[in-house]
Amino acid sequence: MNTTNEKSIQGEAIDLSKVEKAVEKYKNVKGALIPILQMVQAEIGYLPAPAIDLISERLNISASEIVGVATFYAQFHLVPRGQHIIKVCCGTACHVKGAKKIAEKLSKTLDVSLGMTTKDKVFTLEEVACLGACSLAPVMMVDENVHGKLASDTVADVIKEIKESGFSQ
Amino acid sequence: MKTINLVVDDKTITVPEGTNIFQASLDNGIYIPGLCYHPKLSQFGGCRLCMVEVTERRTAHRFACAHPVSEGMIVKVNTPKVVRYRRSVMEYLLAHHELSCPTCDKAGECSLQDITHELMLSPSRFNAVRMNAPVVRDNPILELNRNRCVLCGRCVSACKEIEGVGAIDFQKRGIKTYVGTAFDKPLDCSFCGGCLAVCPTGSWQDRTLEFRGRPWEFKKTQTICPYCAVGCTIVLNTKSGSVRRVTSDDYIGINEGNLCIKGRFGHEFIHSAERLKTPLIKKDGAFHPSSWDDALEYISKRFQQIINEHGGKAIGGIGSEKCTNEDNYLFQKFCRSVLRTNTIDNLSNLRSPSLNSLMYESVIRGIASTSLKEIEHANTLFFFGTDMTEAHPVAGTMARKAIRMNNASLIIANIRTISFSGTAKNDIRLTYSFGSQIPFIHALIKIIIDEKLIDLKKAESSISNFHELPLAFDTFSVKEASQVTGISEEMMRTTARLLTKSGNCCIVCGRDVEEDPLSRDTIKALMNLCVLMNASSPDTGHSKASLLFSRSHNNSQGVNDMGVVPEFFPGYSTTSDVSNRENIEKQWGVKFSDDIFMRESKNIFELARNGALKGLYIMGENPLVSYPNGKEVLEAFQKTGFIVVQDVFLTETAQLADVVLPTVTFAEKEGTFTNMGMTVQRLNKIIQPSGVDAKPDWQIICEFAKKMGYSYSYASPKDILSEIESVVPIYSGINYDRLKRKEFYWASSVSGSRNKSAKYLLNIVQPESLEIKQNKDFPFVLLTGVSLNHQGTFSRYSNALVSVSPECFAEMNRKDAQKMNIHDGDAVVIESSQNKVTLKAKVTGKSPEGIVFVSEDYEWIPINLVRTGVYTPVKIYKETGQI
Repeated sequence: MNTTNEKSIQGEAIDLSKVEKAVEKYKNVKGALIPILQMVQAEIGYLPAPAIDLISERLNISASEIVGVATFYAQFHLVPRGQHIIKVCCGTACHVKGAKKIAEKLSKTLDVSLGMTTKDKVFTLEEVACLGACSLAPVMMVDENVHGKLASDTVADVIKEIKESGFSQ
Repeated sequence: MKTINLVVDDKTITVPEGTNIFQASLDNGIYIPGLCYHPKLSQFGGCRLCMVEVTERRTAHRFACAHPVSEGMIVKVNTPKVVRYRRSVMEYLLAHHELSCPTCDKAGECSLQDITHELMLSPSRFNAVRMNAPVVRDNPILELNRNRCVLCGRCVSACKEIEGVGAIDFQKRGIKTYVGTAFDKPLDCSFCGGCLAVCPTGSWQDRTLEFRGRPWEFKKTQTICPYCAVGCTIVLNTKSGSVRRVTSDDYIGINEGNLCIKGRFGHEFIHSAERLKTPLIKKDGAFHPSSWDDALEYISKRFQQIINEHGGKAIGGIGSEKCTNEDNYLFQKFCRSVLRTNTIDNLSNLRSPSLNSLMYESVIRGIASTSLKEIEHANTLFFFGTDMTEAHPVAGTMARKAIRMNNASLIIANIRTISFSGTAKNDIRLTYSFGSQIPFIHALIKIIIDEKLIDLKKAESSISNFHELPLAFDTFSVKEASQVTGISEEMMRTTARLLTKSGNCCIVCGRDVEEDPLSRDTIKALMNLCVLMNASSPDTGHSKASLLFSRSHNNSQGVNDMGVVPEFFPGYSTTSDVSNRENIEKQWGVKFSDDIFMRESKNIFELARNGALKGLYIMGENPLVSYPNGKEVLEAFQKTGFIVVQDVFLTETAQLADVVLPTVTFAEKEGTFTNMGMTVQRLNKIIQPSGVDAKPDWQIICEFAKKMGYSYSYASPKDILSEIESVVPIYSGINYDRLKRKEFYWASSVSGSRNKSAKYLLNIVQPESLEIKQNKDFPFVLLTGVSLNHQGTFSRYSNALVSVSPECFAEMNRKDAQKMNIHDGDAVVIESSQNKVTLKAKVTGKSPEGIVFVSEDYEWIPINLVRTGVYTPVKIYKETGQI
């Protein structure tokens, strides 16, 4: 396995030395797969295939098993994520208040399907179960900011605002 | 072992402590429905079907597969409550099952279907929701239909635990969970078909079957696999006289239902259109079909002519590693008593000439393993010069079982890095430098003595020449050995400690050692190591260390047992001994002329090349591509006037023959094979040869003998085996009918009769290393080995195997490749002083620098025509480069 640079499916160069560092740190620890994956994701932002292959080789765990673990936990991502994560609440209260429409509108505005990242890698659109802010339903979170009492015709403005605020840089 | 008494459905049963209720019931013939539990696999507890009512101190409901038995426990399998629960679990499982039973190859042997049927589940309370997942057909052998999957996890466990691959696992979670590979890449595994064998539904499908028969239409007959020397029991499924698929049975055979790709999917050659259909006689350089009578008449005339003109000595015979013991026994009897020649040999003996005598010696001295099962019972496994994964895959699964069950330690030593996936706690991988095997073993012995890892006092008293040991090892230093072998002193010390730790130790000596020019001394050194370990072990009646010699083919052991070698009569009695000769003369009712047993220092090909042979009779072998010096064989054939080959296909060797006789495959004949653990197992005749006018080898020999004026009155292989039983001492006590039920272990009967109080003897050798002369023109050494996917002629005519592994690669070291600017997939030429081949390069870290590795089991790649011996100096260049 070449340890310097490998290209991911997305065609960008990945610095595998960061992966090596993570593997090295947990060299003699049993059951260290999850901390390694966390460390790699913290460094690279997601878990690219070459990184998983390298971890597989070093830990002698098959790649299928590692991907199995990574896809089990919501915290791991196998595709690159955007700078900003939009979490649309689809909990009971929000659902009743029309969360589906909000999500559809966002998807249309950003030209990205649910769970995916925009082409310019700025936004990742995700559905979540409940944000615990039912009184503000329908609600969404952009990074750490909560936007409540949304409507399908106003939600585009929120995005516009974020973009305009230069916050996206 | 402590046992537990419990009551299951009013039946009192006794089982070992620690057993779960499911297994306990299974062993006692009580049925509990279940999909995820499998006796071979670790407990999963996912299907929730095996719920039973359990009364221990109080009554509760438990999952039978996950609950251990306890004393006085009362289990009820079918209470109304349990059945109601079970029915609703099944309803959920079926809610999104495809229910495509009419077009599913599994229907009829599907557990899900059976349980649905027995619970009378119809109609369901739920509206069915179909998953409509696309069927995965990304490889030529296995198909995965996720719409039929119940997520029982059996395939995932089988892949991980038995095959050690872990190619598949559960992906995602919750309702989205599915079984698949990382990133949904095409399946990249050893294709053992273990997933297929354990799947309780029709999710995994055998693509070599594909709608060519339904399970209830098949006649299932067990027989022995015709590929490697492990000797797995396979079950051939036939319909209207043709083999449709191969399955396995968890409860029969030494393999416990585990197979490799060759065993499970390499059966298509049986019905290959390329098979020889009639006898062929060469006239004016071209083959012409002939009748059996004409062909045999012609051969016998020509052979008689050679005997009259030059004597029987001018005829050579090559027996087969693939034919049965009966075929080979009759072959050597025919050669010796009818053709009157002792110039007979087989490829296994030609490739490793010192193995037979040492192997037999180790059996007599009680060092040899008495069965392959000893791998499973070992606490330490030492694979020396063998590539278990590629050569004997199912023996590899036995090793993994030892690792899983006995927590066995694993030591693998080889020239190259060998892939073997296991989860041993103590897992040592050593690569010793080229030719330094003996110093390596000596270093281990030296460490064992120096560190007093064994009871030296006891060893001294039970080894008669123990005093020679310090003398021989006085000047030997571990430090120097470490430099020679390239293995650190610390690693060698750890290895020695692991070898001598308590419990059984099984040493597998591989082909890389056996075929090495220094094999004689290496094996002796290895035997010394075993003697030291055994001599010092407490007298439990079972030897601590046992040695297992690798053999290549299904009957490589048997062909030697049957004496198709110049040195031995059947059963390893030496031909040079006059009393053995007289004994055989008496048994066979013949008189040998004195000169035929004269010791020849040359092997059969060298004799032929010198023009000493006028005729050659080859049974089921293709030496032109399987002997490490193809050119020598070619020259030998050219010098020999008349060649007869009997085989299933028109091999490279057969093409050079004057007469070719078609024989039958393993599925069409009876007989016995002896595996590398010296276990004799019986074949069953499953089908009649169809579309080919072929005969079993033994029958051809009988008819041949008749034409030569001798009468062999064998009606079947049973008659031949009963003659073997009386003539061959090591096979005495074998019974053809009994073999149907139970294998015959000849090594244990021989070593069982050994005098236990006899002292051990060391056989001390010099710790020399093999020097390969550096050659300026040919700077690389060509090393060959085996392949998992191919072996012999049969795999080449099995489409499934060829499509999985169509290409033979030249594996070379990354540094070497970088120097020559060679990348993965580049066409490279490997050229020796004799010949050259062009192959695709595979750049790996597996082979050390200066060594290029090519598998020799791709028969259509004439790598052995390039070779000039075991290690051939070669040069490598890019194809577009120098030409």
